[in-house]
Amino acid sequence: MDKPQQDSTDTIQKTVQPDGKVKNKGFRIDLFKLIPLTKKICQWRSLQFLLVFPTMVIFLVFLYSGLFGSTVGNRNIIVIFVWIFWWFLLITFMVPFASRIWCLVCPFPFFGEWFQRLAFIKVRVGKMLGMRNKMYGLNKRWPKFLSNIWLQNILFLGMCTFSAMLLTRPIVSVIALGGLFFIATVLSMIYRQRTFCMYLCPVGGFQGLYAMTSMLELRATDKEVCRKTCKTKNCLTGSEKGWGCPWFQYMGKMERNNYCGMCMECVKSCPNDNISLNVRPFCSDTLIKGYDEAWKSFIMLALAMVYSVTLLGPYGTIKDWANVAETRNWKGFGIYAAIIWFTALVAIPSVWALGAWLGKVLSGSDKVSTKEIFIRYSYMLVPLGLLAWIAFSFPLIMINGLYIVSIVSDPLGWGWNLVGTADIPWAPIFSEYTAHVQIPLLLLGLFYAIKRGYDISLSLYQDKAKAARSLIPLGVVCTVVVLAFLKLFTG
Amino acid sequence: MKLKLTVSCILIVLICAIIPPSFAGLSSSGEKKEFYITARQYAYEPGKISVNKGDEVHIKLASLDVIHGFFLEGYDIDAQIEPGVQKIKMRHPSQGREFTEVDEIVFTADRPGKFRFRCSHTCGTMHPFMQGEMLVNPNYPFLAGSGGTVGVFISALLTMFVLAKKDTSAAAEKELQHG
Repeated sequence: MDKPQQDSTDTIQKTVQPDGKVKNKGFRIDLFKLIPLTKKICQWRSLQFLLVFPTMVIFLVFLYSGLFGSTVGNRNIIVIFVWIFWWFLLITFMVPFASRIWCLVCPFPFFGEWFQRLAFIKVRVGKMLGMRNKMYGLNKRWPKFLSNIWLQNILFLGMCTFSAMLLTRPIVSVIALGGLFFIATVLSMIYRQRTFCMYLCPVGGFQGLYAMTSMLELRATDKEVCRKTCKTKNCLTGSEKGWGCPWFQYMGKMERNNYCGMCMECVKSCPNDNISLNVRPFCSDTLIKGYDEAWKSFIMLALAMVYSVTLLGPYGTIKDWANVAETRNWKGFGIYAAIIWFTALVAIPSVWALGAWLGKVLSGSDKVSTKEIFIRYSYMLVPLGLLAWIAFSFPLIMINGLYIVSIVSDPLGWGWNLVGTADIPWAPIFSEYTAHVQIPLLLLGLFYAIKRGYDISLSLYQDKAKAARSLIPLGVVCTVVVLAFLKLFTG
Repeated sequence: MKLKLTVSCILIVLICAIIPPSFAGLSSSGEKKEFYITARQYAYEPGKISVNKGDEVHIKLASLDVIHGFFLEGYDIDAQIEPGVQKIKMRHPSQGREFTEVDEIVFTADRPGKFRFRCSHTCGTMHPFMQGEMLVNPNYPFLAGSGGTVGVFISALLTMFVLAKKDTSAAAEKELQHG
């Protein structure tokens, strides 16, 4: 089994009732029960294809535009739609409100998944690799030592090092997105299911982490049914109605959103009608399981800071360093890259480690190790990081929003005016009010960081005073981080 | 208890958010502030300017390479500058698309806070990220935000330790009853 499959019970999210049953903390509203039509839609076999196919066509148009359209970023649809519009929708709405819903419509695995199934819609029944579906390709297992998100972390950091080029040069976007599409397709031919999405996709890594905050979850309605009644585990192994989970998730044990791609196959294949699509409180999954996930939170925080300085700041020298393709200042780019990698991989984790150690000392207890505090409390950077990214993304859309409107009429920058919006002059949309949006977002991020941090501390320490004391140093770190973002955005 | 704590926390955050701006003062200096800003791909020099609320701001612009724009958010000012040309083409976007030629941009800094000036004329690959900052002091949003941030932390500490104390008292009471 791959690591993400072995989700254990998240103690923070559970309360044991007098009858011994474990109940989720916080409300759960099952959308399948509330609006039965949603269940029918999710059980509909054509759903994914009908969503992915248009995305795939749009993606190919973007690639074409990147190859043959204007070389100026803000006049080419691939740059404006992918890095401004899609990014804003993803980080601001999709992830916080719909978990990894993007994975349901993502075009990257389109051909790879088709190659594995030789079908877009129907299900193939068969027996292989412990599954009840017939699949094509080599179906190899991903190496165990790579069954974590370290590769995703490094790939994402690597890709983001070249962000200034990605965000401004259509051809670089074509190389990056086309390359990911190609790798996803080839890997699907070699490895089982959505190996690329789980272990390599740079977008999947941060989506998985931040999906922990999401207000939507796909879960077993009653896990006891999975564990005791269900002998076939069709969610994992598949059936004649649905494919086995492409993400290797067994619903009887799945407790976090991290590795659920919301493909809805389990809704189709479950023979016990035991899947719920729940609305739940913000930041309901709080269990960070290892260093790879902890480092992802550090990387995301570091990148939010670096981008805020580079892209939203007034610092010409740093922009020159990042813009190496034009300036050819390789020394400057080296400094820029070193700052990003050092901040993400060394500086922030070191501060966090110091905070964790101080927390252990302040708690006055030896029962919880510094390592455990370091890993578990790193969850605090999940809501904080997400809200900081949203605060970063708002100005992007407020400044570049009108480019989106005009580029619809002239997607390739060839002087067309398809829907009459090409000549709308650029102007920021209420950008002078960004601070009024960013400040509440950052405060909300800090609030959730400390609130969930306290929940985690209570699961580690029986004594509330010890729990509170253990949280102080990292609470201070989070507060300082928010002050730093405030300075960057509004100060 | 829970309601009391929640209300106290909200009050603490609000008080912390109000205190720093209150100390920053309200007075306007009304001085004349002059700046000479050069634009190049993809930055302004100086990238940051600072004035006080009420100051009369005079900005002269020059481009060092290609045509650049100068859109000052919050002040309805958009300008274009050509390399080697002293005159500035300026307009107020809310009043129409036509530019008029001026020697300098003049306005009163009557809105406090941080306002970005951005290039409004596509000048190259990094054009969307070419921007500078004008700080109009006192920067109330930043001061309130910083105070609020500290307030969130203080209220979190308060909540945690009040709950811990309540727990300890309840345990002691239980022990007394059993004893």
